[in-house]
Amino acid sequence: MNVILKYTLIAIAALAAPLLFPEYQIQLAWLWLMVVFALTWDAVGGQMGYNSFGNVFYFGLGMYVTAVVQRDLYYDFEEYETLAGSLDTLPPADYLTGMSLGLAASAVCAVLCAIVLGSGILRLRGHYFAICTLGLGIAAGEIAAGIDYIGAGSGLVTPVFPDGLGEKGLFFCYLLLALAAVTFLVLRWLYTSRFGLAINAIRDDEDKAEAMGLHTTRYKTIAWCVSGFFLAIAGGIMGDLIGFIDPVDTAFAGATFGVWMVLMAILGGKGTLWGPVIGATIFHVTQEIFWTFLFGWQRVALGALIVIIVVFFPQGVMGFARARWPDRFGHRVESVADKGATQ
Amino acid sequence: MSVRRFSPYLAALASALLLGSAGSAGAAESITLGAAVSETGKYSTNGKHTRNGYNLAIKRINEMGGVNVGGKSYQLKIIYYDDESTPARGAQLAERLIKQDGVKYMLGPYSSGLTKAIAPVTEKYGIPMVEGNGASRSLFNKGYKYLFAVLSTSEQYLAEAVNLAAENAGKLGKSASDVTVALAMENDPFSQDIRAGVLDDAKRHGMKVVIDDKLPKDLSDMAATLTKVKALKPDLLIVSGHSKGAALAQRQSSDMKVDVPMLAMTHCEAAKVQDKFPGISDYTLCATQWASTMSYSDKWFGSASDYANTFRAEYEGYTVVPYQAAESTASVLVWADAFERAGSLDTDALRDALAATEMQTFYGNIKFAPTGQNVAKPMALRQIIGGKYKVVAPSKWAEIPVVFPKPTWAER
Repeated sequence: MNVILKYTLIAIAALAAPLLFPEYQIQLAWLWLMVVFALTWDAVGGQMGYNSFGNVFYFGLGMYVTAVVQRDLYYDFEEYETLAGSLDTLPPADYLTGMSLGLAASAVCAVLCAIVLGSGILRLRGHYFAICTLGLGIAAGEIAAGIDYIGAGSGLVTPVFPDGLGEKGLFFCYLLLALAAVTFLVLRWLYTSRFGLAINAIRDDEDKAEAMGLHTTRYKTIAWCVSGFFLAIAGGIMGDLIGFIDPVDTAFAGATFGVWMVLMAILGGKGTLWGPVIGATIFHVTQEIFWTFLFGWQRVALGALIVIIVVFFPQGVMGFARARWPDRFGHRVESVADKGATQ
Repeated sequence: MSVRRFSPYLAALASALLLGSAGSAGAAESITLGAAVSETGKYSTNGKHTRNGYNLAIKRINEMGGVNVGGKSYQLKIIYYDDESTPARGAQLAERLIKQDGVKYMLGPYSSGLTKAIAPVTEKYGIPMVEGNGASRSLFNKGYKYLFAVLSTSEQYLAEAVNLAAENAGKLGKSASDVTVALAMENDPFSQDIRAGVLDDAKRHGMKVVIDDKLPKDLSDMAATLTKVKALKPDLLIVSGHSKGAALAQRQSSDMKVDVPMLAMTHCEAAKVQDKFPGISDYTLCATQWASTMSYSDKWFGSASDYANTFRAEYEGYTVVPYQAAESTASVLVWADAFERAGSLDTDALRDALAATEMQTFYGNIKFAPTGQNVAKPMALRQIIGGKYKVVAPSKWAEIPVVFPKPTWAER
C-alpha cells in the first residue's frame, strides 16, 4: 500500500511537472532520458558488475535506425538529402506511424546486436570487458561517419515534428517519461525475479555462479539485451527531439552520454534500484544549474561535484543513505550483514 | 537538522536565482538576442572569435544610440549559452533560449554542424536566425525560411585555389588537366562540403585527385595522409579541419618536410598559424570570407581596416582579425538594419525585413538568396608572405601575384 502510494505520488508529480512548468519541458524530457541512461547502464554495470562504456552504441544505433525508417517510409532518399527542409512536413498520423515502426525496428536491431556482440564480448571480464566496450562505441561512431546512406560525417536531419500533435516539448517529455517509467518497472520486476538473483550472483562471484549451474553468458547476454532494448528506443526518440544526428557528437557520443551514464549510476549508488534515478536527477539538475550560473566553468564545477561524491559518498547517494539509516532499508541491510559475517 | 545544515546553500541558490531573474526583468528598453556559442570543446577558439565579434557589434551599436525601432530607441544585448561544441546541446539550448528565456531573435552558433542542429529548432518556432558561421551548403537547400547567413557557402571556400593552380599550371610545365590534387578533409558537414566544391572544380579542369582522405573529428595527427603526399607528390594539397586542422597541417607538413607546390587550407587566421609557426607558415594559401584590405565600409565601423583596428584595440592577442569575428559582427549589423527597416519587433515582420536585406557593411555586401545564404559577397584567398596575409585572389583585391610553386623546404 505504502509503495503504491509512493509511486502514485511520483507519477502525479512527473505528469504534472511539464504542465506546471511549461518552459522547462525540454529539460524535463532530457531528465527522463538521463534516468533511462542511468537505469539501463546500472542493469549491466551495477547489478551485474560488468562496467560497460559501450552502452551508448545502442543509443546511437536506435537513433539512426529510427531516423532511416522514418525517412525511407515517406521520402525519396535523394530528394530528402537535398530538400529536407522544404518538403512538406508529414501528416501527424504518418509521423507517428514512421516513428513507432522506427522505434520497433531499432529495438529489434539493438536486441539482435546485443545477442551477437554480447555472446562474444561478454566472455571478457573486468578491465578487458570495459576496454572492449569502449572500443565498440568509438568504432560505431567512426563507421557511421563513413556511411553515405546515413549522411556520413555531414549528419542526418530527422523529419520535422508536425503541427497537430500538440506541443513538441510536451509530446517528447511524456514520451520519454513513459519510457523511463516502463524501463524502471521492467527492471524492478526483473531484479525481484530469479534473473535479478542470477545477475547479482554473477557480480558477486561469477565462477561460483557458473559452478552452481547458471548459464552465465546467457544471463549476461539477456541483461545486455534489456539494456540495449530501452537505450535504442531512447535513441530513436532523441533523434527526433534533437532534429539532427551527428555520428560522433550526438549518436555515438561516448565522451558525453557514454560517460554520463556511468557517472549518474555511480553518483546515485550503483547496484540499487533507485540509485540511478536519484543519480540522474542530481546530475541533470546540477548540470543545468551550473550551465546557467557558472557559464564557462560548468564542467569544472561538475568535475568538483564528482570528486566530492567519489570522496565522501563512494557508494553513491543510496549507498550513503543505506549506511546512515539502515533500518529504512529493511532486509537488504541484513543480507549485507550476513554476507559480511560469512566472509 | 540536515535542512538547517544545508540552509546557507539553499539561501545562496535562491538568491542566485532571484538575481538571475531580476537581471532580465530590469531591461525594459532593450532587445535581447540569443546565441548558443561554443565556450568549451573543440570549437572553443572559434567560439571566442564569434563571441568577440558579436560583442563588439553590440557595443558599437549601443554606443551609437542603439537601434531605432518605430521611433523608439532600444539597446541591444545578447544572452549566451555554451553549446560545448556538441549539436545535441546546441539544439537543447536553442529550445531553452526560445522557450524559457523568451528570445525572439537568434544569432548563429559557431560551425555548420551546430547550425544544422539549431536551424530546425528556430524554424519550428518561427524565430529568425542570422548567422555568420555555418557555411555548409546543405544548410541552404533545406528550404529554411528563418535562416539567414551573411557568409559565402563552403563549396566556394577553396574554389579559387583550384583555379589558381589551373591558371599557373604552366609554371610546373604542365597543363591544367595534368595537375594532381590531394585532399585531407575533416569528416564534418563543413569540410565535406568544401570537399564537394573542390571535387567539382577539379573535375571541371580535368585534374586528377590522387588522395582523398577523411580526417577524424578529434584530429591530432595526419601523418598517414602526409606520408602518402610525400610518396605521390601531388601539385596541390588542400586541407580543411577548422582551426585544429590548420595548425596540425602546418606543423606536421614542416616536421615531415612535405613539399607541395601549393598548400591551401581554411582557418589559418583563426588558428593564428602566422604567429604560432612564423616562417614555417609562409606561402600557405588561406581561404577567407573577408580581409581587412578590402574596400568595404559602413556607418558603424567605417572601412574594413577601421574595423580591424577597432577590434584589435578592444581585444588583446590578435595580430590578424579572423574573419569569423568579422562575419559575426556583420550578423549583428544585419539584425540592427532589419530592426530599423521593419520598424517593428514582430518576428514575421522582421523575417520579411531580413529577407529584403540589401546593405553594405565593412564585411561586404549582404543580400540574401531566397534560401538564406548571402549571394552578394565573394570568397577571397590570401597567401602568407613574411608572416603577413596578402590577398592573391580574386583579382579585384589581389595585392600580390601568387607565389607558385612555393619554395621547397630545402630552399628555404
